[in-house]
Amino acid sequence: MEVKINAEGGKTLVELTGRIDTTNADQFQKDIAPLMQGDNPDIEMDCSGMDYTSSQGLRLFLMLQKSVGSRKGKLVLKNMKPQVREVFDITGFSNIITIL
Amino acid sequence: MKKKFNPIKDKSAEIIEYVMSSPDMPSDESLLFKIRLSVEEAVENVVRYSYEGGIGWLEAGTQLSDDGLELMIVLRDAGTPFNPLEREDPDVTAAAEDRDIGGLGIFLCKQMMDNIAYRYEDGCNILTMTKRL
Repeated sequence: MEVKINAEGGKTLVELTGRIDTTNADQFQKDIAPLMQGDNPDIEMDCSGMDYTSSQGLRLFLMLQKSVGSRKGKLVLKNMKPQVREVFDITGFSNIITIL
Repeated sequence: MKKKFNPIKDKSAEIIEYVMSSPDMPSDESLLFKIRLSVEEAVENVVRYSYEGGIGWLEAGTQLSDDGLELMIVLRDAGTPFNPLEREDPDVTAAAEDRDIGGLGIFLCKQMMDNIAYRYEDGCNILTMTKRL
């Protein structure tokens, strides 16, 4: 699993690749820690390279969404693979987080 | 095939890989995705919660039905008696602020597999998950 974070204009672009599972959820939490600070964050995540997430990954997406929401910001997940999208759909996370 | 892991503390990944490497597994990627997710959530539940400090054993096994159309995954442990199916499903319509992450793992298992059964027998939790192939 790899997380690349780039600032571009007023936006934060994030590229997620690989799998988020029991072996690396702690690392993922550390990797996205920089996204948990700052005012009015505008975060766009490219999930085209993300192959898998377990409930531990979902927990961290929820944490990030709550954090961004409380700072009046925006979080958008893009280009999710259908299998991963299904996990977000059946857990209702697609209603909580904007997925394009 | 089946194998007993003891102790199971920090062994989730090894147990999951053992189950997923079974010759009983299908080759279809979409099925494998669902099975892996269910195995991970179910194994994690046992490793994290069944024993105090993860000091205990877990036996994991797979089996195909005689007609080869159904895969069965069985997890057995001797930890605290716990029926995960009695746990209330999370409210998947709740807003982000009200969402609680508890119970999401077993809920995913229920959605991804075709059938899940639990029984407590001879001092053991036995969870059986079935997927039509």
